[in-house]
Amino acid sequence: MSEYTHPEVLVSADWLAEHIDDPNIRIVESNEDILLYNTGHIRNAVKIDWQNDLQDDLMRDYISKEKFENLMDKKGIGSDTTVVFYGDKSNWWACYAFWAFTMYGHKNCKLLNGGRQKWISDGREMTKDIVEFPAQSYTVSEVNEEEIRAFRDHVLNHIEQKKPLIDVRSPGEFTGELLHMPDYPQEGSLRGGHIPGAKSVPWSQAANEDGTFKGRQALVELYKEGAGIDINDDVVVYCRIGERSSHTWFVLRYLLGYKNVRNYDGSWTEWGNLVRVPIERP
Amino acid sequence: MNALQEIITDFQQMSRDEKLDTLMDYSENLPDLPERYHEARDKGQNRLHECQTPVHLWIEIHNEKIQMFVDVPRESPTVRGFVALLMEAFHDKDPQEALNCPNTLLNSLGLVQVLGMTRLNGLSWLVKRLKQEVTKACVEN
Repeated sequence: MSEYTHPEVLVSADWLAEHIDDPNIRIVESNEDILLYNTGHIRNAVKIDWQNDLQDDLMRDYISKEKFENLMDKKGIGSDTTVVFYGDKSNWWACYAFWAFTMYGHKNCKLLNGGRQKWISDGREMTKDIVEFPAQSYTVSEVNEEEIRAFRDHVLNHIEQKKPLIDVRSPGEFTGELLHMPDYPQEGSLRGGHIPGAKSVPWSQAANEDGTFKGRQALVELYKEGAGIDINDDVVVYCRIGERSSHTWFVLRYLLGYKNVRNYDGSWTEWGNLVRVPIERP
Repeated sequence: MNALQEIITDFQQMSRDEKLDTLMDYSENLPDLPERYHEARDKGQNRLHECQTPVHLWIEIHNEKIQMFVDVPRESPTVRGFVALLMEAFHDKDPQEALNCPNTLLNSLGLVQVLGMTRLNGLSWLVKRLKQEVTKACVEN
């Protein structure tokens, strides 16, 4: 893993096993299925649900700074705690939580390479015991939104200035043939296609079968040589609701060291429903 | 009160966490798919394609009662839990009880807020597909 630009943010299962009882570390599991954690999880891990915990239930947005502080207090996470994320689906939701924590200015975030799938297939210990950690007094000092989050107006500007966009959805979603992931329910987008000018690089091309990330050279070939996106470019990534694109955001920012990558979390469920925004189909 | 009504009444009295715990209990008690269906499942037969999770469902009518046989992977406990709830409501019951099930069952159970909108579509489809399969089984019978 040392070949990556910021190898310190990616940890191996061995590393996590050695640090599992470290009081300065909190392990966070984030999954697509809200009950998966309850069927068994890494010892000392707490659950953070991408929807119930991180999203506002009234407005389509993330919870307020104050609610995030309360959530951190409840989960025993302090401002200086190192948080190690892992989850199902090749770490989609773990990357999503990592991205959201970064947005709230949390400094020490790490990701378990291979996530839940690899931990289990390596035959490592799982438990159903739920541990409560002492409440903390968390303070969000700065919200990092501008640096890592894109809204639709940013995307419109991006198109006008012909800056690079990466569509990380499956090829069928990119061409507009499918309005949702293969085998996933249709989530109510009224038009299919992609944002004009976006390059199609499905997120899965950055991952190995076992859920770990591909090596640096393969990633450089994919994004720099394949999609022609340079390390200094201003890049926006998107998918359907921002979860798969968090995975690509993580790859570009931490594994390859791209300086300016933002995740458009409105993604296709916003763009495919907006009135009078341009859409491209091949 | 039929079995479904009893489940709905119970759910309406539960807190958010109790609802999740109950779904978890259901999930753990979902009966295994009988062996005679394993080959068909492994060939991908009777898969409900509306659901992201690979759910395989067989409906048969024996003595005018519904027999449900289902396979849901353990990695999808929420779907397993919901399917087990449907089994408790309709297995060995009169087909009409399943056909009368409201398509808005998830709302009646108060699961919309608990699970969140993006997780609901697949589960809503399960209700519709179950009813279709029951109708089909009744016709074939």
